[in-house]
Amino acid sequence: MSGSVVEILLVEDDPADVELTLLALRRNNLANRIQVVGDGEEALDFLFCRGPFSQRSFEEAPRLVLLDLKLPKVDGMEVLRQLKGDARTRAIPVAILTSSKEERDVVNGYHLGVNSYIQKPVDFDQFRETVKHLGLYWMLVNEPPPPSAFGGGPS
Amino acid sequence: MHNGERVKVLLIEDNPGDARLIAETLRETPGGVFELACVEDLETGCERLARGGVDVVLLDLNLPHSRGYDTFVQAYARARDVPIIVLTGLGDQELAVRTVRDGAQDYLVKGQADAHLLGRGIRYAIERSRIQRDLRRLNEELEQRVAERTAQLTAANRELEAFTYSVSHDLRAPLRQVDGFARLLIEECAAQLDTTARHYLERVRHGTGRMGELVDDLLALAHVGRQELRLRPTALDRLVTDAVAELELQWRGRSIEWRIGRLPTVPCDPGLMRLVFVNLLSNALKFTRPRDRAVITVDQTTARGLPAVLVQDNGVGFDMKYADKLFGVFQRLHRAEDFEGTGIGLATVQRIVHKHGGEVWAEARLDEGATFFVTLGASPPQGHAHTS
Repeated sequence: MSGSVVEILLVEDDPADVELTLLALRRNNLANRIQVVGDGEEALDFLFCRGPFSQRSFEEAPRLVLLDLKLPKVDGMEVLRQLKGDARTRAIPVAILTSSKEERDVVNGYHLGVNSYIQKPVDFDQFRETVKHLGLYWMLVNEPPPPSAFGGGPS
Repeated sequence: MHNGERVKVLLIEDNPGDARLIAETLRETPGGVFELACVEDLETGCERLARGGVDVVLLDLNLPHSRGYDTFVQAYARARDVPIIVLTGLGDQELAVRTVRDGAQDYLVKGQADAHLLGRGIRYAIERSRIQRDLRRLNEELEQRVAERTAQLTAANRELEAFTYSVSHDLRAPLRQVDGFARLLIEECAAQLDTTARHYLERVRHGTGRMGELVDDLLALAHVGRQELRLRPTALDRLVTDAVAELELQWRGRSIEWRIGRLPTVPCDPGLMRLVFVNLLSNALKFTRPRDRAVITVDQTTARGLPAVLVQDNGVGFDMKYADKLFGVFQRLHRAEDFEGTGIGLATVQRIVHKHGGEVWAEARLDEGATFFVTLGASPPQGHAHTS
């Protein structure tokens, strides 16, 4: 990984979905630095600056985490639970981007503190629109948390 | 009790004179098959009963440590399956009748029972008790069987719905990918594609679009099946207004006359009932499309002797000989190129209405519009209502 700060962390295990999501984001010039991780464990390593990501610092938090729910090893809900349960990562905006809108998943997501819940549309045009709106909002409209928001130890 | 077998009678009686009289009477009964054991108080009687082998109890109600009705209650509680004949004095018949109502097989007035009457009373009591026991056992078996079947059915239903859900859910990702890459081909490789290739790709996209609708409708249907009813008094007017607003994309720019009458407030699940109106009105809008001016009526009425809501249109209608197919999943009465649709909407409507204990049916004529009737609560709703 280069020294530049990652803007979006995309947590997605399906390579085809990764490609389509990246295409949609890049087409709108919404994020130049996107880190893709393929499972929940790698996502946690990245977010908690561990293992291959031990050179990262908590203050260089991504502007947005796009989180799929069905993931190998550690599922998306568990990633969300750990991220929102730790003062060093709690302020990072997380959008669940998944195929499911089962009520149980939506409720659990919000109870764990997710900032947004989006069901991926089947129609690619709609999907692209959705990703565009999502990127515009979190990259341009939303005021991101300042570095001081990522202070403190685990709580 | 079988023919020829000795009948073991337990007499619980503290008055030696009465006991002797009963013993003598029993000896005089024709056939002489009775074997009498006699105890003087209830406690000893119950101990004797607990050892088993007693075919019938003759019970005096006034004993050393227990009196009246209470004597019967205690004896009955300790020996549910042994028939009890209450022995009573002349003035106590009212009490005796009460014990019979509450489980005693019979009562006999002391001094009035001759050998014939006593013998017959005992035999009848034993037979009646045996029949009651059999009935009770059959009933319990039946209830258990019903409970088992219900559990199996519930489990099968849950499994089926979980299956529908996960299949539908997992189908969405590959569909999005097929649609996405087909779209990208059309956009980004336009120069290398001739008209035929582009046509094929459009076909691919059309197919994924249809499949996407099917999956979403199946998901909605599965969701209705799994959802518990949350009954609340609901103004149906509001639901219809909401549904009309939700369907705006379908009617904007068209000439439509809405005739929406006053609708009642009824206990129902508002979320699910809204879905009923969305589906019925969406159908009405779809099948009136060939009309210059669509007329869509929603009103209350009486149908099949019950208060009902009707949704009527002046659309293309259908032939009543296909009416039974209307509410089946994937059943369609029109060709896809005339009217699009997945054939799941009315199945969803029917499932919701049935969940409410109601009925839905349609009357129509080809090219002369259709009328859908919905009744609610003809029978008690399935599932449990949330009263909070």
